Amino acid sequence: MTISADSQLAIDVYLKVLRKRLRGLSEQVSNEVVKEIHSHILEKAALEGEVTPDSVASALTDLGSPEELASQYVTDDLLARAQVTPSPWLVLQSLFRWAGISIVGFSVLAFSALGYFLAGSFALCAMLKPIHPQTAGLWLLPSPENDYSVSLRLGFASPPAHGRELLGWWIVPIGLAFAMGLVLLTFHFGLWSVRKFWRPARGA
Amino acid sequence: MTKKLPVDPDGAEKWEVQLRKGSLELAVLASLWDGRLYGLEILRRLENDSDLVVAEGTVYPLLTRLKVLGLVESEWVESDSGHPRKYYWLTSPGRQRALEMARIWRRFSASLSDLLAPLGKEKR
Repeated sequence: MTISADSQLAIDVYLKVLRKRLRGLSEQVSNEVVKEIHSHILEKAALEGEVTPDSVASALTDLGSPEELASQYVTDDLLARAQVTPSPWLVLQSLFRWAGISIVGFSVLAFSALGYFLAGSFALCAMLKPIHPQTAGLWLLPSPENDYSVSLRLGFASPPAHGRELLGWWIVPIGLAFAMGLVLLTFHFGLWSVRKFWRPARGA
Repeated sequence: MTKKLPVDPDGAEKWEVQLRKGSLELAVLASLWDGRLYGLEILRRLENDSDLVVAEGTVYPLLTRLKVLGLVESEWVESDSGHPRKYYWLTSPGRQRALEMARIWRRFSASLSDLLAPLGKEKR
């Protein structure tokens, strides 16, 4: 099989961009992908017999842009790994990617971010309680409309006027348990959403 | 009052595209039912046997995903054409999944056919 210098250059550029955009995939998978796409291009270009600059150009066009192709690989890889071996980091990675391409994904990411933020706040409050015993905790605060609001305070400011602390030292075990429960719940919500609703976009 | 959106004249075509996208995984698994094929052969099989013309770049990422999920296995084989080809075949769980999906597809298709039977007939 003889390929002109121009065609070889076009193939090399395509594969180089593809490899660059496959960031996030393991090197082994990335090598496999590039090798397979290279094989496909050569196979397709030689379908009519001789490999010509036109047949190479046509094979590359039919594959779509290397950026789009890489994006599908990365999305499919995340989705598959999240299904096989779920980990919080993998689910978060999947959610960030999903959020960039879908409103549903964005909503799930927003809920997850809220869940992790709340969990982090409770955990931090529990850990700061021994350092700020008088001020850190869950406080019931009177508001101007004869109403009450609940406030989680880390204890860096002075105690709120007319406020009442609700849990005392119980904030430490309850806060930590609540934070752990919320992390688990948020993680499983993200994982369930990814598995249930995320379908990679495909041209058909 | 709810504002009505104008009827999309391409609505049926768009629905068909979504339907085809949704059936791609089953179609790829089914194409491997009789034995091992490499990427381009799978694409030809889909085109010739199912009228499912897919963008070429979509099948390869899907095959990689199916492999991670353990539904297909692959192997590089040297060919006469001068470059190696990556052949895919169904694993045992892959065959099981293909059977299950085919069963669900047939059941759904049959029940929908009953519902669709009156469509196109004249109203008495």
